[in-house]
Amino acid sequence: MSTSNSAEDIAKTFGMEAVPESVKRLTQMIAGRGASIEEFGKFIAQDKELTARLLKFANPRAVDQFDYNITTVDGALQRTGMSIALLLAMGDPLVRGVLKTFKTMLDINLELMPVSSPFQEAHILGEVSFSGKANGKVQLRLTKASVPVIGERLLGMAPEDLADPAMAADVIGELCNMVAGNFKSNLCDAGLNCVLQPPKITITDDFKLQSVDGGNSERHPFRSPELPLFVDLGVNPWAGE
Amino acid sequence: MPHKILSVDDSLTIRMLVKRSFKNFDCVVIEACNGEEGLAAITKDRPDLIFLDITMPVMDGVTMLTKLKENPDLKTIPVIMLTAESGRENVAYIAKLGVRDYLVKPFKDDQLIEKAGRVLKLEPKPAAV
Repeated sequence: MSTSNSAEDIAKTFGMEAVPESVKRLTQMIAGRGASIEEFGKFIAQDKELTARLLKFANPRAVDQFDYNITTVDGALQRTGMSIALLLAMGDPLVRGVLKTFKTMLDINLELMPVSSPFQEAHILGEVSFSGKANGKVQLRLTKASVPVIGERLLGMAPEDLADPAMAADVIGELCNMVAGNFKSNLCDAGLNCVLQPPKITITDDFKLQSVDGGNSERHPFRSPELPLFVDLGVNPWAGE
Repeated sequence: MPHKILSVDDSLTIRMLVKRSFKNFDCVVIEACNGEEGLAAITKDRPDLIFLDITMPVMDGVTMLTKLKENPDLKTIPVIMLTAESGRENVAYIAKLGVRDYLVKPFKDDQLIEKAGRVLKLEPKPAAV
């Protein structure tokens, strides 16, 4: 890991959680970027969950795993490229950050879904970009109906208090900041130092997963009884090279 | 005298959360939305405790903290970082500048009160006469 023991010790004195295993794995993958596909593949193959996601990504038209044309990690890496494996490995820290933010701040238990129905109407898009050794963006997509739910749970606000677009944008922006800030910290711990831009909150009816220059993107759908949520991650892990 | 707590954060939402957390205690929460405003508020109000974010426009929290620690009259005011930044090397760097504690967002009101309670003797707000 790029993190020194003393830095980890200091974090412990403040009562901070240990660096998650998925971030340690990501660190090793980033450190191994110069390796051959075979060596990189051997490392990924040790992780069943990541292997399953990579194979699914490499077989986009398959209905299930029995329908896969590509069945090995090496084959999947040759089809998708190593940056896809890095993107998928970043998914776990991102999902953890989303679940923790919504549980801690809103007492909402989100569940990660394999697929989910797209939003059919204009919705809220909160975006935080990051740049440095990795470039990309984290985007949260929420329905307009979610805003009063979030305002009430976070600050005990009445719906009319959130009629001011600036207040609504501040509330959603802070949630985006927490999710993106935690994710950015994980990237830094994994050796991809980068800085965040302030959140941008817009209304859009464009539901397409957005691309990132030189990178790839993945969508994470979440559901809870209170609200639906989509979190998109686009990243170019080679930006600093 | 009520304790003075300064919340320096560009997010109104966070400043409101800090204010709400201490509403039942004998505290006054002062607000600033960037490091420059924070330093001005410190000079004017001399708070007993500062909650400080890192990523802010105009002046970020690390710059504000550095300037605060350079001022012999103000450097003893305790600072608790309240930020989503938890990258270990950054935490270590900030710790060396001299902070009393560090709370990573997302957070609960209880955590904020518990961290403040290690620095200040928090008393319930006196009943209105």
